[in-house]
Amino acid sequence: MEKIKTFIHHLFIPHEENNFRAKSLHTDFLTVYLVIAFLMMLVFKQGNIRDVLGFATDISVEKLAQLTNEQRQKNNLPSLSMNSALSLAAQKKAENMFQENYWSHYSPDGKTPWDFILGAGYKYEYAGENLAKNFLFSNGVVDAWMNSTAGHRENILKREYTEVGYAIVNGILNGEQTTLVVQEFGKPITSSFTPPAVQASESIIVPVQPKISALNFSFNLNVIFMAFLLLALVLDLYYASKFNVIRIAGKNTAHLLFIIFILIGLFMSTIGTII
Amino acid sequence: MPKHFYLHLKMELKNHLFDYLLLFTAGIFFLILLNIFRGQRVIEFFVLVSFAFFYIIWGVYHHIINETLHLKTVVEYILIAFIIIFLLKIIILP
Repeated sequence: MEKIKTFIHHLFIPHEENNFRAKSLHTDFLTVYLVIAFLMMLVFKQGNIRDVLGFATDISVEKLAQLTNEQRQKNNLPSLSMNSALSLAAQKKAENMFQENYWSHYSPDGKTPWDFILGAGYKYEYAGENLAKNFLFSNGVVDAWMNSTAGHRENILKREYTEVGYAIVNGILNGEQTTLVVQEFGKPITSSFTPPAVQASESIIVPVQPKISALNFSFNLNVIFMAFLLLALVLDLYYASKFNVIRIAGKNTAHLLFIIFILIGLFMSTIGTII
Repeated sequence: MPKHFYLHLKMELKNHLFDYLLLFTAGIFFLILLNIFRGQRVIEFFVLVSFAFFYIIWGVYHHIINETLHLKTVVEYILIAFIIIFLLKIIILP
């Protein structure tokens, strides 16, 4: 126990034995971090956490459905059941957005969300659509929809809807690699309505499954590492100012500022856009 | 916040106000660019690399002005900047 205490002291607190600079901030330690970061970069590249086009998202239909239903349950609304015809409509809508290169509920040639839903064989009494692009995580998508004042929240919490369908599709939109999320809501016109069996293909959906845990893991690792670096810098700065230490080293205040900006940027990069 | 820590930070910022304002402005500029090019991963990564290189140059400039430039210090700025670049590349541009 005493050894661990001494090690942590040596790692974070500037004193004589570590040349008055927290050991975790010495250039040899920083070099080790750099090598680890470089190896991680190579491992993740080799580990196929992306598909051939280089998309990296941790969004899955299951998670979106779960989060959407959680929001409905919080508001005392019944859960939405998955409907394959709505999923097909969502898939067709996303494919059409890539083909005709638009980011809107309405296509340039006038196709509406309802055209896709009806085209998939879903005759509805009520229907609605939410769109999102370039989010990294499922919860980011649902959070953005829930915080929206443009009707997304109303769609998720609309009492009339009973069924939902999703599509997560990668492609090139306006020259940029884009991950589109389409959420189609509906209530069939009659309770006896059953979608055509031929359109009930789950395989049409493009899940981004293999890289899910890898991306989530690397994101968490990034946050943990930066938090560790921030802690080391703050403790080193705190004790250096307390003991009035003068030394040859980089400025902790500047490092702190730099890492804080990077952390804000990291969280910003997880947020996409919705319409 | 303990008094010595607060005073140290205050003195540091006061003595090098221009330098820190420069770094802060670059940071804000970095976030604005990230927001403008949100979702465009290649440009996002380019913005990140630019900010990291600016940070290294800022560090060298700051220590030259204060006559505290040392190879060890330059290496420290380079290491921190590149650790961040490698880590964020996994997220932004895998």
